Amino acid sequence: MYGSASTHDIPAKATTGLENEDPILLAEFEARIARGEKIEPTDWMPQLYRKQLTRMIEQHAHSEIIGSLPEGTWITRAPGFRRKMAQMAKVQDEVGHAQLLYSAAETLGKTREQMLSDLVNGKSKYSNVFNYPTPTWADSNVISWLIDAGAIVNQLANAKGSYGPYCRALDRICAEEAFHLKYGHDAVVHMATGTPIQRKMMQEALNRWWPAIMTFFGPSDKMSTHTEILMRWKVKMATNDACRQQFLDMYVPKIWEIGLTLPDANLRKNEDGVWEFSEPDWEDFKRVINGDGPCNAERIAVRRAAEENGAWVRRAMQQPQARYVRPLA
Amino acid sequence: MLSSFDPRINRLELPDAPSIPTDKVALDQFPTYEVFHQRKENAAYAYVGPVHAPEADVAFLFAKEQFSRRFPCTGMWVAPTSAIQVTPYGNDQESVYNLLPLLPVESATADATGQQAYDIFHLKKRGKAHAHVGQVSASSPEAALQAAKAAFGDQRPVVNVWVIRSADLLRSDDEDRDMWTTTPDKKYREAISYKVQDRIDRFKQEG
Repeated sequence: MYGSASTHDIPAKATTGLENEDPILLAEFEARIARGEKIEPTDWMPQLYRKQLTRMIEQHAHSEIIGSLPEGTWITRAPGFRRKMAQMAKVQDEVGHAQLLYSAAETLGKTREQMLSDLVNGKSKYSNVFNYPTPTWADSNVISWLIDAGAIVNQLANAKGSYGPYCRALDRICAEEAFHLKYGHDAVVHMATGTPIQRKMMQEALNRWWPAIMTFFGPSDKMSTHTEILMRWKVKMATNDACRQQFLDMYVPKIWEIGLTLPDANLRKNEDGVWEFSEPDWEDFKRVINGDGPCNAERIAVRRAAEENGAWVRRAMQQPQARYVRPLA
Repeated sequence: MLSSFDPRINRLELPDAPSIPTDKVALDQFPTYEVFHQRKENAAYAYVGPVHAPEADVAFLFAKEQFSRRFPCTGMWVAPTSAIQVTPYGNDQESVYNLLPLLPVESATADATGQQAYDIFHLKKRGKAHAHVGQVSASSPEAALQAAKAAFGDQRPVVNVWVIRSADLLRSDDEDRDMWTTTPDKKYREAISYKVQDRIDRFKQEG
């Protein structure tokens, strides 16, 4: 449901390491990307490319797994049988997306075991928005519609990237997300055009989620050497600001047309067609992403419990003669 | 105890400050199978993704759940990842068959008892999916690749070839084709069944 090339978490003084790469192989690699060809797992690739893509696809996979938790909690309490079924189908999709993405990341050399360990040990990140709770059904609807909408903006951009296995996974994921978006929109419209109590519940949920939604694409990119290289290599396909503008342009009108308001007095589209808004609280964003959010502990604890409770099944099925085989494509 | 908005999570009685878990051990998961699906009758089977499973039958069930529940599908094959022979990758627009080392041609009189069927899959363009092109008979995967070059080598472009011993592919049975029929009761998971414009228009008129 999420896939952002978060170059902002690369240490500022990290070197690109390009001076250590074979110049001939590097030139061939760059020429292939410039021709519009995709990179496949067995191709030579620079360390920076491998490292950044691994981090990005892995974070995307974690976000699918963790992102299914705040919505999953509403399956049993969704109003009506049809909504329970639809919510369940959506959550099942998200977990399926994680499976595809872990495999794509594995083709770069990091094992799935290591990625899952890094998730429960807090070493790797997932989309920060999932560190906030869904106290009402309306909060779950906001995720289904607007967080998925943000994710689609991201994913459609990334699907044009240069790494073959990630593109293959994203093509499939984007097709399924179409249902999520429509389903989420339907649920929000239903509440917003419903009784005064339903409407109030939806407005309050939107007010709670809006600050997090505005941070979804990350802070403005500092145009560093890294960013420039990653854009040339088609790892990062659009700046965070460009994604945010596209999201605002597509969805703010849809929010306003159903009579909902957004809790930002400065939000407006100027004469140049650019959206203006109050700068999100990036200090708070940093604090939450580093572990001090309302739900960080719960999300990781639930993931750990799932890992521990499933261990006996894996042990029982384990084959002593098994050998690790990396996915092919 | 960890307290949550979610009653299901409270029932798990998770500790507030859990100890840091140890890293997973290597191979703490099922092996992978690669899945090929057929989008419509008579279309070529094409690669769609991997599943983790303890054995081929279970892999097939998982594959059906993961890859056929949302989009049209009329057939499915699964093969263990480890059973797939992969050639090097060529450039787009080229044929990777030209890069293959030529092995001595098998004598036509070779003992037919050692021959097995192999399925051949081509990748036409980087970033796309491998598609089935046909079967050859050979005594080894290497020989199968040579046979594939003779049979399908004139196709262009071929970026990459997968060779799978036909016996390693678990295939859906034609007799069971009704398993691919999607129940009409599950329209709720199609984007097309959500139509809100009428409701929005009505709301705007009333407002």
